[in-house]
Amino acid sequence: MRKLALAAAFAATLISGPAFAEYPEKTVNLILPFNAGGESDVSARFQQPYFEKITGQQMVIQYMAGAGGAQAWSQLNSMEGDGYTLMGINLPHTVLQPMEKDVGYETDDLVAVNYFHYTPNALFVPKDSEFQNLQQLIDYAKANPGVVTFSGSGSNSANQIGQTQFDELAGITTTYIPFSGTGPAVTAILGSQVTAGFNYVTSGVNNGDGMRMLAVASEERVKAFPDVPTFKELGFDLVGGAYRGIAVPKSTPEDVRKKLSDIISKINQNPEFIKKMEDAGFVLTNVPYGKMADFVAQKKKEYRAIGEKLGIANR
Amino acid sequence: MELLGYLLSALTPLNILMALGGVILGTVIGALPGLSATMAVAVLVPFTFTMDPATGLIALGAIYTGAIYGGAFAAILVNTPGTPSAIATTFDGFPMAKRGDGSLAVTLATLSSVFGGLVGGVFLLLLSPPLAKIALAFGPPEYFWLAMFGLTLISALSVGNTLKGLMGGCFGLMLAMVGVAVVGGDLRFTMNSQILLGGFDIVSALIGLYCIPVLIDLVATRDPHLQVETGNRGIRLAEAFGIAWNSKFNVIRSAILGTVIGVLPGAGGSVAGLVSYSEARRSSKHPERFGKGEPDGVIATETANNATVGGGFIPTLVLGIPGTPPDAIILGALLVQGIKIGPTLFTQQGEIVYTFIFGLLIATVLMLPAGLLIGRYAYKSIASIPKTMLVPTIAFLTIIGSFAIHSNIHDVQMMFGLGIAGWILNRCGFAPSPIVLGLVLGQIAEQGFVQSYLIGNARGDILGMFFARPISLGIVALAAFTLLYPVYAHRKKNRDLAKQAAENPGIDIISDAQASATIPKTGLLSQPRDMAGTIVALILIVICAWALSQTPAMTPMGSVFPTTIASVLLVFAAIFVGINILRKSGSGTVDPARDTESTPRRIGLVVAMGVWIAAIPFIGFLAAGILAFFALIAISNYDGLPAKSIVLHVLSGCVIVSAMYFLMAEILLIRMPQGTLF
Repeated sequence: MRKLALAAAFAATLISGPAFAEYPEKTVNLILPFNAGGESDVSARFQQPYFEKITGQQMVIQYMAGAGGAQAWSQLNSMEGDGYTLMGINLPHTVLQPMEKDVGYETDDLVAVNYFHYTPNALFVPKDSEFQNLQQLIDYAKANPGVVTFSGSGSNSANQIGQTQFDELAGITTTYIPFSGTGPAVTAILGSQVTAGFNYVTSGVNNGDGMRMLAVASEERVKAFPDVPTFKELGFDLVGGAYRGIAVPKSTPEDVRKKLSDIISKINQNPEFIKKMEDAGFVLTNVPYGKMADFVAQKKKEYRAIGEKLGIANR
Repeated sequence: MELLGYLLSALTPLNILMALGGVILGTVIGALPGLSATMAVAVLVPFTFTMDPATGLIALGAIYTGAIYGGAFAAILVNTPGTPSAIATTFDGFPMAKRGDGSLAVTLATLSSVFGGLVGGVFLLLLSPPLAKIALAFGPPEYFWLAMFGLTLISALSVGNTLKGLMGGCFGLMLAMVGVAVVGGDLRFTMNSQILLGGFDIVSALIGLYCIPVLIDLVATRDPHLQVETGNRGIRLAEAFGIAWNSKFNVIRSAILGTVIGVLPGAGGSVAGLVSYSEARRSSKHPERFGKGEPDGVIATETANNATVGGGFIPTLVLGIPGTPPDAIILGALLVQGIKIGPTLFTQQGEIVYTFIFGLLIATVLMLPAGLLIGRYAYKSIASIPKTMLVPTIAFLTIIGSFAIHSNIHDVQMMFGLGIAGWILNRCGFAPSPIVLGLVLGQIAEQGFVQSYLIGNARGDILGMFFARPISLGIVALAAFTLLYPVYAHRKKNRDLAKQAAENPGIDIISDAQASATIPKTGLLSQPRDMAGTIVALILIVICAWALSQTPAMTPMGSVFPTTIASVLLVFAAIFVGINILRKSGSGTVDPARDTESTPRRIGLVVAMGVWIAAIPFIGFLAAGILAFFALIAISNYDGLPAKSIVLHVLSGCVIVSAMYFLMAEILLIRMPQGTLF
């Protein structure tokens, strides 16, 4: 009887497959669809040492920038689905891009296994700006329609969505100036080239001395900036930003997807990792593989409504 | 003296070893077009987590600075910039190598790079916080004008051929607009093709436009690729020192320009190199020698591009805004180490930062012996290697390099397509450099323009945005000066000569005007009709018409630049066609050398490479590489090979291909396509 049980257990391990039991067995490649230095890069760099600690394998980061990420995402499913090719995935990008035009992939083609953090939008003004709080800025914008300029990263991006929603909620008209990434958009604020900027909270950490954060678009105040009010506190129902996760090619087996999602969730629970991320202004989320379908469906609905307002819901 | 203490702590044997290793690895990676410092640095970051932070950072900085320097090798020896920073190095470096001065050019590049790197590093060490302010003073209009300034170089690069140069430049600007627009988010000119979604990658365009024509012409004749220099003059260090000393103003100006442009997060090494080259040419006593192998051209570019390394770290460390991708990765590594970036970095975490800066300076100094040694062998081997090995090796490097950019076969296809187009255009009198300039500067120009317009429009002062900012005006003035000064200098020279001639009637002095009068002065219309150029111009007109037909579907933001550029190109092309219709058809002068060139071999090379690229996804990268290597040996072989030599070729072919494959797949961890074979 014991022999039989042993044999059964042995057979079970065989069936469950070595991929599950020992994944990952070698170095894992994480392809980021953006250039180095952005939020995707920094958060992946934070994960890197913990991934190695948990799995004993290295995670190598590579960059495949182009077309606002679409270059990489449109190729994801033609890559090898062995669990060793991972790709960074972002919201709202992967909903808005295929909604607007044919970029070579559809939102539902992409298999995200875990969305592990988001960076809330935040409204910044230069250090020596006359605006000390949000209301002053709104008053000025009301008196001078179109004159207030907001820098942000890219067109039809999380930043522009934030600006559009803010305009609507506050009943003002401002001008959005797209830049080629967070770096240039923040530089424009620091150098007072624009009145203000819609950027991610994370930008406030490195450039805290040069900019003032007037409000943040998160549910609760961000730990790194306990003094900065949320838009909600100030009476504007504005919560948003960019979500970042990890995706795999469609051909990746279910058990590997799950295992990978578990590893990422485990990193997310490491106190050291949590502290580093929160100090840098990231807000951790935990959307594991099991909850992915609901999460993406809900976000799709939300972004479609915004896309229609922006006039980019063409498809 | 606190700084001295940091210097001593940077000088541990391990740090020096890491710096030396980093510089050597960086130089090799930089010398191979397509492989970039970004890849090497990205792969090596995890190692720095386990190392002492300063040591790890020194290794990363050394690789970066080495790679920028290494780009000069490919530029000088095979006319292909190893990195975009070295674009302007090809202008004079390759002509120098062609005439047998390759080792001099390499030595000059080494000296200049070391000096530029040191200047950038010293500025980083001493003046970071004030210099970081420059980065903030540069707004969208300044970037726009800086790009325009870079584009003025087109007129200098196409003397006597200005219209074609301008058309090439506009065509490059059009290429830069393909893909998803950053400003406006439009999908432009992709013809619904997946390949064009991300636009034309600059590196893959550089490899294609510069290297493929070299290859095509290399197989067409029996002549060696480079002149072997007469006598064994070694690395010609003393001579190079002498030249650099005589050009000390050029060296210092280029180093300062490089540092300042390096500080600008949106510009980088390629812009710094081009601007310094342009300035060196303008202030030279012999501007006409530029482009034909003038050492000052190499000095200016190489000094400036290495100065951007130190300059680029200034906004990275002070503002947390990385100027280039390698800066960004190093910034990421710093953040993971728990270092807080910002103005306080230098005072509160001085130990790591200053150790890093000193490490960078040490690495730059080590570049001198390492570079001279590598340069000596690189030049010798490129000059003496038989063509039957050189052609397949370079061809393999073009494919590997363009593949490595994104691990993507699309980039290889694009590289090859642009290469063939570039060769044909070159034959029709359209040089590749204006096209490349347009492609490199197009995005900077467009973003700067549209952002300035939007901000100006919001403030109700569009003209003021473009023309009433002091830095902008300074750049505009400099650009105008660069454009017009050669005309003025030319006139003045002729006047002086005429005066001399008048004063000394007995001596027959031929002025430039008189000399040139024999050719173009009789008027544009009296030259023979340029059939090939006219056909290209007609094709460009069709392309412009198509592009203009696409613009109404775009957002206003996304369409303003394409509409403008396509219209301008249309006008240039129409003028060109008009002039040529009015010209008499003439036989033109056929270059007699062309008779001895072998067209079948050219076609053979193009077909072999085409099949090679098509076969990679099916039979695998390594298998296709080795097979194509043998095919190219056969195509470039002019004399019967003895059996022993064949064995040697086959063996070295396998070794070269496998070694490169190993470097890419195992060291840089680039994902290679898997075919049915291997």
